[in-house]
Amino acid sequence: MTLLTVSGLNISINEEVILKDVEFTVDQGEVFGFVGESGSGKSMTALALMNLLPRGSDRTGQIILDGKNLIDLSEREMCSIRGRDIGMIFQEPMTALNPVMTIGNQVAETLIIHGGYSRSEAMTIAREKLARVEMPTNRFSPDLYPHEISGGQRQRVCIALAIALRPKILIADEPTTALDVSTQAQILDLLKLLVKEEQMSLLFITHDLAVIAKMADKVAVMQTGRIVEMETTRELFQDMKHDYSKKLFAASNYIPETKTKTRGVSFLEVREVYRAYKLPNKRILDKQNYNVAIRGVSFSISKGESLGLVGESGCGKSTLSRTILGLDPLQKGQITVDGVEVISGRKMPHSLRKKMQVVFQDPFGSFNPRHKVGRLVAEPFHLLEKSLSVSEQRERVITALLEVGLRETDVDKYIHEFSGGQRQRIAIARAMVIKPDLVILDEAVSALDVSIRAQILDLLNELQVQHNLSYLFISHDLTVVRAVTDRVLVMQGGKIIEEGRTDRIFDRPQHDYTKRLLQASPRIPAEWVKEETNQGYHTG
Amino acid sequence: MLHYLLSRIISLLLSLAVASLVIFFVIEIIPGDPASFMLGLNASPETVASLKAELGLDQTPLIRYFDWVSGLVVGDFGISYTYKVPISELVVDRIQVSLPLALYALLLSTAIAFPVGLIAASKRGGTADFGIMGFTQLGIAVPNFWFAMLLVLFFAINLRWFSAGGFSGWDAGFWYGIKSLTLPAIALALTQASILARVMRSALIDTLSQDYIRTARAKGLSQRRVLIKHALRNAMIPVLTILGLQFSFLLAGAIIIENVFFLPGLGRLIFQAIIQRDLIVVESVVMLMVFAVIVVNFLVDLTYAMVDPRLRRGG
Repeated sequence: MTLLTVSGLNISINEEVILKDVEFTVDQGEVFGFVGESGSGKSMTALALMNLLPRGSDRTGQIILDGKNLIDLSEREMCSIRGRDIGMIFQEPMTALNPVMTIGNQVAETLIIHGGYSRSEAMTIAREKLARVEMPTNRFSPDLYPHEISGGQRQRVCIALAIALRPKILIADEPTTALDVSTQAQILDLLKLLVKEEQMSLLFITHDLAVIAKMADKVAVMQTGRIVEMETTRELFQDMKHDYSKKLFAASNYIPETKTKTRGVSFLEVREVYRAYKLPNKRILDKQNYNVAIRGVSFSISKGESLGLVGESGCGKSTLSRTILGLDPLQKGQITVDGVEVISGRKMPHSLRKKMQVVFQDPFGSFNPRHKVGRLVAEPFHLLEKSLSVSEQRERVITALLEVGLRETDVDKYIHEFSGGQRQRIAIARAMVIKPDLVILDEAVSALDVSIRAQILDLLNELQVQHNLSYLFISHDLTVVRAVTDRVLVMQGGKIIEEGRTDRIFDRPQHDYTKRLLQASPRIPAEWVKEETNQGYHTG
Repeated sequence: MLHYLLSRIISLLLSLAVASLVIFFVIEIIPGDPASFMLGLNASPETVASLKAELGLDQTPLIRYFDWVSGLVVGDFGISYTYKVPISELVVDRIQVSLPLALYALLLSTAIAFPVGLIAASKRGGTADFGIMGFTQLGIAVPNFWFAMLLVLFFAINLRWFSAGGFSGWDAGFWYGIKSLTLPAIALALTQASILARVMRSALIDTLSQDYIRTARAKGLSQRRVLIKHALRNAMIPVLTILGLQFSFLLAGAIIIENVFFLPGLGRLIFQAIIQRDLIVVESVVMLMVFAVIVVNFLVDLTYAMVDPRLRRGG
């Protein structure tokens, strides 16, 4: 039975067309998926259903939910639909809950505002709903505040408050994008279970094709505000018709062509490294407690090698990269770069610092928005022994920009004038401009759309071959790690529990944890995948 | 929570200790000897010396510091050189005017700023917001003594609703006292309310763009309810900070307004004491004000913890 019919939906924000003629239907109990890259209009479609579009937007068309056209409803009537007939969960569980309200109250609020429940009744149901999302009251008190639980648990609370009134349809907008693979797998399983047991429909939005393959019955592929292809999931993956779908699919499985690399001598040596942080004491005279972030980690990277580092959030990946860069002091152990020991703090010699550079996940957050690109890219020059003249600096900045596929004229632009992918290119240019030997890529491609990601991976590959670079590639995305690294370290609880050649780790994992991690990582069923992975990404 | 409380108390005591040291020694190095000032230019050195001994000024600074501090702790501020009465009496007299005035002005400013800030934030970009932003800009720009004179001209001289100045004490009755403090309180509150309303507005607007506001809207809360139930409490931290600062300012910074309305408050006391080189009064009143400021900030810190569970329960 059809539950939701959307037809001729157009949205413009301040005269700019955002959605054009979007049409789809969702059956009762069906999981309907939306995929597409950022800016394709997936989230806007969801917000249009809720009538929570940004200011200045204009909405026309029909959204018929259970026989009622939502477009005709007043704001007051919409308030009674939201939360009761349509529930919604969002991408960022860390910030999606009110930090000054207990989780129990936040779930109960949904019940109270739609009437019919007293506070105590609502709290009783809230407890049941929290138990429903596997947050039983004996382990998670409803009196907890959001900051006292993890990201995955917060997302469960968000789900609990969205399903508290058993809505007819649940909208999930990138619900697992901010979570690591194991938590993602648990949340996806939970959503599937809830849809089945509560007989809800689910509108699932993601950029991740593997996730959609696992979740959806039917998929719509969106590009620049239009649905370009809509099929049942199996048919879509087995027989893609639209060029854009094919391109998207190719890009998400993209593996850069590996050129033969000369495996050089060992460059970075990490020996028995140990790092612990002091925890705040609960009581004044308690014994000092420590959180051990890294416990006895040893490994090495050779010249020209790509080493992957994978593990769940909180396993010590970032601390490790900080200690290598000399940003965080060691308590035990030794790190040497090219035979010279890394000492954290101001004492670290510039000659050592200039051998290592880092590229972070968020390309916007790591640039000063008030400086021009020329100055931003020139930042590492102070590490050189010999200071360069202004014209020499400019020349080297331009060379670096050209090398990452940008233009000479980009020197005088500000960072907000670039797209996400271009910003990441600038971040790479900044790392490359002083010709380092080791680049740490900390989730460097995680925030990028698949087609942009493919281009950046290509670029990294080219640069590596040209300059014989070593990469430490930190990522939670196992597909990418598999595609670009030579060796992989698997980290859990501050320790390296498995290490080996990438193909060996992925094909024949030894450690139980590695096996679990690989299993949790969503994959497109093998029989759906055809041999055309490396086509068509370049035109993006 | 205990940890937070204890750390706040330690910081409170430390600030008090440092403040008392700074106040004492700054006044110590200021030129001007109270004994010779009191006796006039023609006094003989012997007379000055004997007065110095009487006042305890011949002791070493360190001993005088400890005498002073130990006196403060038990409420003995010493005796004023010029008024020849215990300073505590002077202060008690004056604080009966200054404290109610500060609280009155604060109450007015909060009562105006909260609804005004809420309206401006909820109608962001609209006519109401535009008007409020304009008025508050004006409120900050207008000097409060000038505004006070306008108030006197209109309400005291033309309409004769209030008296133009002076304070007859609380003995004449509570409402009578309140009446004579009303115009000064309004004059003081104007600037404070304008600042507070603007802080409130921007804190609310900031909060309204947060993800959890969207979650609350998706639950079915109306815009109004989201503002009251979710945004207001989260916007309180910056507002409380400003409130704390304003109270301190109102207590100590009302000198000009006290002069305009001829009110016998702490501000006037300290002003006169400085002119007359009554250093022990200056020291003690300044210390008292510092004490008030530090205690108010301590209370603000405690309210933070009430508002924000992350301070109360780690995180």
